[in-house]
Amino acid sequence: MSAGPILWRLAALVLLVVFITKPELFAPLFEPLTINNAPAIYNQGSLLSLTLAHLGTVFSAALASAIIAVTLGIFVTRPSGLEFLPLSRSLVNIGQTFPPIAVLAIAVPLVGFGEKPTLIALFLYGLLPIFENTLSGLTQVSPLTLEAAKGMGMSLRRRLMEVELPLALPVILAGIRLSVVISLGTATIGSTVAAKGLGEVIIAGLQSNNMAFILQGGLVVALLAVLTSDALMAVERFAARKLGQSPS
Amino acid sequence: MNAISPHTSAPRTASAGAAVSLDRLGSVVAVLIGVALFVAPFVTYRANRIVAGEARMVLDALPMTLAIGVMAAALGVALVSVTIRQPIIRLVAAALGLAVIFVAVGRAPAFLTPPGNTFARISPAFGFWLLTLAFALLVADSITRLRLGPFARLGAFAVAAAALALLLVSGAWDGLSLLKEYATRADSFWREARQHVFLALGSLAAAALVGLPLGMVCYRVPRVKAAILQILNIIQTIPSIALFGLLMVPLSILSAKVPLAASLGIHGIGAAPAFVALFLYSLLPVVANTVVGLEQVPASVIDAARGMGLSTRQRLWQVELPLAFPIILTGIRIVLVQNLGLATVAALIGGGGFGTFVFQGIGQTAIDLVLLGAIPTVALSFMAAVILDAAIDLAKGPVRD
Amino acid sequence: MRPSISQRVRSVIEIQSLTKRFGDTVVVDDISLTVDEGTISVFVGTSGAGKSTLLRMINRLIEPTSGRVLIDGQDTMAIPEDDLRHRIGYVIQGYGLFPHRTVSENIATVPRLLGWDKKRIAARVEELLDLFQLDSGEFARKYPHELSGGQQQRVGVARALAAKPALLLMDEPFGALDPVIRHKAQDDLLAIQRRLGTTIMLVTHDMDEAFHLGDKIAVMDQARLLQYATPAELLTRPAEEFVEKLVGTAERPFRLLALGKVREAVEPGAATGKPVSASATLREALSQLLWMGREKLPVVDADGTPLGRISIGGILAHGRQPA
Repeated sequence: MSAGPILWRLAALVLLVVFITKPELFAPLFEPLTINNAPAIYNQGSLLSLTLAHLGTVFSAALASAIIAVTLGIFVTRPSGLEFLPLSRSLVNIGQTFPPIAVLAIAVPLVGFGEKPTLIALFLYGLLPIFENTLSGLTQVSPLTLEAAKGMGMSLRRRLMEVELPLALPVILAGIRLSVVISLGTATIGSTVAAKGLGEVIIAGLQSNNMAFILQGGLVVALLAVLTSDALMAVERFAARKLGQSPS
Repeated sequence: MNAISPHTSAPRTASAGAAVSLDRLGSVVAVLIGVALFVAPFVTYRANRIVAGEARMVLDALPMTLAIGVMAAALGVALVSVTIRQPIIRLVAAALGLAVIFVAVGRAPAFLTPPGNTFARISPAFGFWLLTLAFALLVADSITRLRLGPFARLGAFAVAAAALALLLVSGAWDGLSLLKEYATRADSFWREARQHVFLALGSLAAAALVGLPLGMVCYRVPRVKAAILQILNIIQTIPSIALFGLLMVPLSILSAKVPLAASLGIHGIGAAPAFVALFLYSLLPVVANTVVGLEQVPASVIDAARGMGLSTRQRLWQVELPLAFPIILTGIRIVLVQNLGLATVAALIGGGGFGTFVFQGIGQTAIDLVLLGAIPTVALSFMAAVILDAAIDLAKGPVRD
Repeated sequence: MRPSISQRVRSVIEIQSLTKRFGDTVVVDDISLTVDEGTISVFVGTSGAGKSTLLRMINRLIEPTSGRVLIDGQDTMAIPEDDLRHRIGYVIQGYGLFPHRTVSENIATVPRLLGWDKKRIAARVEELLDLFQLDSGEFARKYPHELSGGQQQRVGVARALAAKPALLLMDEPFGALDPVIRHKAQDDLLAIQRRLGTTIMLVTHDMDEAFHLGDKIAVMDQARLLQYATPAELLTRPAEEFVEKLVGTAERPFRLLALGKVREAVEPGAATGKPVSASATLREALSQLLWMGREKLPVVDADGTPLGRISIGGILAHGRQPA
């Protein structure tokens, strides 16, 4: 990686941090977008706490999804779970035709408003990319490598822990990144069901017809998503390098 | 050649286990069916559209003979799923099971609603959905194991769709809550449906028009490729509602400053920012898959084409694009399924579509209204996925991996 | 005290009525043979003859349908699978090196499984890198994808030998190498085997390789063992027509000459010209005579002492079908 992109990322990160901690500094930039002397900067809560709540929701859901999805992925690729492999592939395929918003919306009547439906939707929808990537990561390990591992007398557990999972790790991490990126977006919409998060700013802007709110909400969410995805991608590259794979 | 395969021992486990052990997936399905029949309610009865419902088990929800019929059918499917492994028999059993519960649930409203009461709402409850899930799992597993070709899959899908359409048109479900919700909004339902499809397909068409040539340029000029793909990747990462928001500002300025734009229907709020955002999201899969598709054309084939004296243009149209087509089509599939889902968010900014019902439903805590928006969206995405998957298989030709 | 590399660890392998069926197809049909300790037995045959399956039943990657395998008199079924495999080296075509581990980590795999201490593992890895002419400074920390095919092959064999197995199973170990490197790799394997005395069972479909490496050759066809004999016997007394065809009738005399040494055909007397080494094969001597257009050439032993001469007539007598 050359210095240029790093500088860009650093600048974006600094901008984001300054914006969510001291948004008043940017008020003059947003004033032209307001009408009738409406506030130029979101004033119904601190951007910092909204950002933290947003990230908290997304990462706790992603953590749960990752644990369950990786476990399931391991199960259906073991001899005892092989029977479920074809079905689970189709289920992932079908599951991805459900828009995340539909999952969110259906969860509301079941568990009520607030964080819960958002967490459930993020968790359920987040399972899919991680499960799919765990499957493809584990099944693409070269049969030669597995044959050699078995031939040297590695137990099933060791083969999984020392060969299959490490070799599948970059692909699994890519699944986690996809899941987190989707969750960041879905959590934004979660604000329509009263979950605490950055969507509030945009929704407030839409409700009061305040373009300044919409723009700053959009900017913060967009920057957050791009930087998060970028950071997770760096983790993937690091893992791939650690595992002796040439970064692709 | 000495093929080394870790799977050589697989047939042993399968054949040795067949006689005694139960089918694991079948057992899971059977447990689901048992829970659905004996623990979970079949339908929910609500005095009106908003209030909390009361649960009704199968035996209380249907006329006695029908209830017994449903139980017998469901237990029959459970038995088949545990004992029989042939996918075709399982498929038929599960399909029959689905037919029975789908018809039966339509009879519940007439049985449960006191005569003359027009406010009461009957909707399928957890047990019904669980049965549907169990049967659908069996159907999906059987179809996967049958390895149907593209035409057979389309055929199966057409039969299922026709059966559902028949149920809807015949009025068998008219008593159900969801259909009552539809009846009061039939006009707006079809208007939003058109809008939804317009947003998803229109933005896809625009993205294909721009993305295909852009992909070809990227294929020829690696430096352009790196830059374009990076930008499109970043756009794809931005959550939909944020991108809508970001686009609203310039579009509203445009419509305020340029009267022509306003008269063309371009406004800061409404369909325009949604359309543009969906278009932008669609570009990445189209461009990336065009590039990958063109790049995976074997160098030997291109060499042979050159050797036979095909011009660059002829090569592109006669060799490279046809060989890249299945991968480009895969990009289109990704875009279409993604757009049909994302278009629901457009309703938040006044862009219409099925999301209108979803967000209204959330606002009124009316689950029927949410479902009125969500179910057609899922159905559309599912249909798009099935049709395009078949098309991709056909485009790949008879060679199967 | 650390056991030295030249310590002789050998095993005798007895295969008794070994049979494998997959459903109705018999893949290995009632095969019995004994591999003597410290020798190389090569299994040849067309593809699908069952040789890989036979090999994979030795380390129980495939469970036999019936029959048994004894290693030094001990039934392999009595040893837990993984323990058995720790004691048997295994090399496959393509090697199956772990792509996420360095060369030295790859070589250390079985010693680590056996719980050797770090120092001992490190010393063993050094020793093997040295034995396989891989400079430890350069290669120890490299990943498999950074190696050439020949280097990968050497790492594959070194990994299989790491825990000093008494038996080494090799399934087409040279199959992925190009011809020039392949010959060198075969020579290296021979040298290492002679030095360590490891018992080797090797599967190949390359007849030249079989004659080059095998102390004994087992010819298999359609799940059956047709003949198990020394290379010379295979040439002079083929048990079946198939063996004769597989050996190659046109190649036969030359293969026979390649098995004999100049030492065995030395005649008394002198000759002029570039001397031939007594340890060269008769085939090499014949080539040299033909190439130089001579009837006779002098023979010397390793330190240059003249031993006599070798003649075309004398060589030809060795390449003739025995009466």
